[in-house]
Amino acid sequence: MNMHATTHDELHAEMADRFDTNAMAQESTLLNPRFYTTDFDELDRIDVTPVRAEWDILIAQMKSDPNKGHFKKNADWDDVDWDGMEPKLKREFIDFLVSSCTAEFSGCVLYKEMKRRGNNPDICELFNYMARDEARHAGFINDALREAGVAVNLGFLTKAKKYTYFRPKFIYYATYLSEKIGYARYITIYRHLEQHPEQRFHPIFKWFKEWCNDEFRHGEAFALLMRTDPKLTTSFANKLWIRFFLTAVFATMYVRDHARPEFHKALGVEIDWYDQEVFRKTGEIAKQVFPMELDIDHPAWMPTLKKIERAFRKMEAGEKQGGVGGKLAKWSAMASAGMGFARLYLLPVKKSTPPASVRLEPTY
Amino acid sequence: MSLFTRKVEHVPCTVEVSHRFEALHAHVRFNDGSTINPGDEVLVQGPPVLAAWGELVIEDRTAVITRATALERLWTRLTGDFEVMELCEFSFSEEITL
Repeated sequence: MNMHATTHDELHAEMADRFDTNAMAQESTLLNPRFYTTDFDELDRIDVTPVRAEWDILIAQMKSDPNKGHFKKNADWDDVDWDGMEPKLKREFIDFLVSSCTAEFSGCVLYKEMKRRGNNPDICELFNYMARDEARHAGFINDALREAGVAVNLGFLTKAKKYTYFRPKFIYYATYLSEKIGYARYITIYRHLEQHPEQRFHPIFKWFKEWCNDEFRHGEAFALLMRTDPKLTTSFANKLWIRFFLTAVFATMYVRDHARPEFHKALGVEIDWYDQEVFRKTGEIAKQVFPMELDIDHPAWMPTLKKIERAFRKMEAGEKQGGVGGKLAKWSAMASAGMGFARLYLLPVKKSTPPASVRLEPTY
Repeated sequence: MSLFTRKVEHVPCTVEVSHRFEALHAHVRFNDGSTINPGDEVLVQGPPVLAAWGELVIEDRTAVITRATALERLWTRLTGDFEVMELCEFSFSEEITL
């Protein structure tokens, strides 16, 4: 989950300050998650009976809290030479930590709210465990940030917050994909660094394997929730929504990863390869509940992603340029990105039939 | 709920901020069971709740809930979904250049 744009601006203004002044001066980064409401009555009406057996196993797993002891710093947490880190890499890596911390934090706020507002004991128990995991992840990342001299500020509570609204099904599609893609991203980096330990420029990557199992489990929970109501994944309109979310999430990830070249260079990861690998794993996993897979090997797939990525760069250049010329350049680039997205969305998908039993175990 | 005027409510609340290694979180709970609806705005009164590293702060405060008008609520319900991609995590912020 992401912060609101203005928050990013504030945050980056503060980060810019930090990098313009002497290193290691404690700077404060305001965490400012967004606040959501949804149709809580609809959540209360969820009946997990059709998936009860699998549900109980998953909840028991979460209750046993397999990662309780994992997020602790031990001898594996090597010293980090923040001062010696190449400034561009440092900037991108801090962006990674801050964005990830905010995402975990916002997830915690959302899940806690769902737990608090709900009256359905199954749902409340699930969201309680997920909020616990997210707060724990956020605390762990926060500690890494502290070492880098970046302090998070939780003073947002006393600022006015407007609550927006998402339909439950959109929360399912978006968070399901977000959790599964998070798993695929972390495990792919982890496996790559197993082969190339010399490229592990920060110890946090050593924690990714068990960490991403939490993400995987959270994804499983949303998969089960979607299975309680077959319409969510079988009706004509919902299939179009699923296709939309798959395309939007993959394209956004591609654009954002390509905007962080130093991070990936330091890990020794070629971004096109990495993203395709993550899409492949996510697509394969998502067949557990979605009746389709995007055809990421279609000849038009990669060229269109590249086109969208170029369009985003031009949009930003136009924005920076300002004036009438800049606006025109930006609009033209937006149109180009929109066309690219439409092209991706309309590429033929590979239809599939989700298996009778929805549950999967992390196997990558 | 009024169609055009916003109602303002003062509600006792409990603020919990954890700034610890084992958990980083911040929550507001309305003590009287008030619930928030789409488009409502919440402001916790008083100075910022600051938890130093290692601290768990639990404080009683007053929250001001500015209720959305019926039109605002409807608007938020209709348009909120456009921002749903915010729920997705991509490891990085949206800036193309930092």
